[in-house]
Amino acid sequence: MTEMFSTLFGQNEAQGPPGSSSLGFGPGKPPPPMPQNQVPMAGQMTPQLGDDGPTLRKTGAMNEPFYLLRELPVGNELTGNTNLITHYNLEHAYNKFCGKKVKEKLSNFLPELPGMIDSPGTQDGSSLRSLIDKPPVCGNSFSPLTGTMLTGFRLHTGPLPEQYRLMHIQPPKKKSKHKHKHHRPQDPLPQETPSDTDPKKKKKKRDDDPDRKKKKKDKKKKKNRHSPDHPGLAGSQPNSNSLR
Amino acid sequence: MAEKFDNLEEHLEKFVENIRQLGIIVSDFQPSSQAVLNQKLNFMISGLQDIEKCRQQLHEINVPLEVFDYIDQGRNPQLYTKECLERALARNEQVKGKIDTMMKFKSLLISELSKVFPEEMAKYKAIHGEDAPP
Repeated sequence: MTEMFSTLFGQNEAQGPPGSSSLGFGPGKPPPPMPQNQVPMAGQMTPQLGDDGPTLRKTGAMNEPFYLLRELPVGNELTGNTNLITHYNLEHAYNKFCGKKVKEKLSNFLPELPGMIDSPGTQDGSSLRSLIDKPPVCGNSFSPLTGTMLTGFRLHTGPLPEQYRLMHIQPPKKKSKHKHKHHRPQDPLPQETPSDTDPKKKKKKRDDDPDRKKKKKDKKKKKNRHSPDHPGLAGSQPNSNSLR
Repeated sequence: MAEKFDNLEEHLEKFVENIRQLGIIVSDFQPSSQAVLNQKLNFMISGLQDIEKCRQQLHEINVPLEVFDYIDQGRNPQLYTKECLERALARNEQVKGKIDTMMKFKSLLISELSKVFPEEMAKYKAIHGEDAPP
């Protein structure tokens, strides 16, 4: 078995044709038997291996049966084995963009920009892609408009036609949503908030409560007056202390 | 680096604000506002000149073209950054998985070959050293 292995990787190529031996795969013929202690001859292989140059092992190793082995890659090489986000110090960016939900619309990124910027740029021909594909034909420099040139910008009085007014309409900002977002975590029962009747009921109950309390107090007072274990002022002291 | 962007941002904000004011003037034009309009038009040109000057400072900045597609679709360009980072991490994990699997395969192969071909593997280890992965 060991002979087969060594012949496959060592001796067989030495006797085969040059083309096949340089690839490391010899012909299918079985090699002639060799003594077990005999090491393959280096002199037989060197002329065939000269073409491969530096990619192969150094000449000292060619006595070995693994003369076609290549050098192992250097351990310092940056591969996908390492976390590349931490390697390039992008953890902060990762946490910033992937940690929380990024808002979908362009107006969330540029809130100060006027106009309807969330609509596709291809609709009104304002896409950046078209600017790259078909750059505008213009000069290299910007020069201010002279008096005669400005005459071309004399406008008629009155409002703009309706089709051009859309330029100045701002998308509605949903402030109410933000409010809901703030309130949601605080309110354990969101279903109660929309109904207007509930607070009234609560108020009514509150209004009723003092009357009931008064009635109860009166009954208690009456009972206490008649009862033999009347606490008197000593019993009211903790309450007065607690108020302080 | 940030100063360059701040400078450009400032000029762009001024330019946008000027355009916005121009839009307001034009939307309901009055004869008396022609002089203001002319002034705003020239201010727009000077704004463009200022932006043009910023180009020299930002010569080495590369912007991926895919970002423009996001902006053209009215989407937040930060989504591109997010998706890029997520894709990079996913690919990183995939490649790491492949490397780990290949390392395990290598160590298993070496151990099995050492059982069957002990002499040859001893020579192999003499060449490569004991580089069997953990």
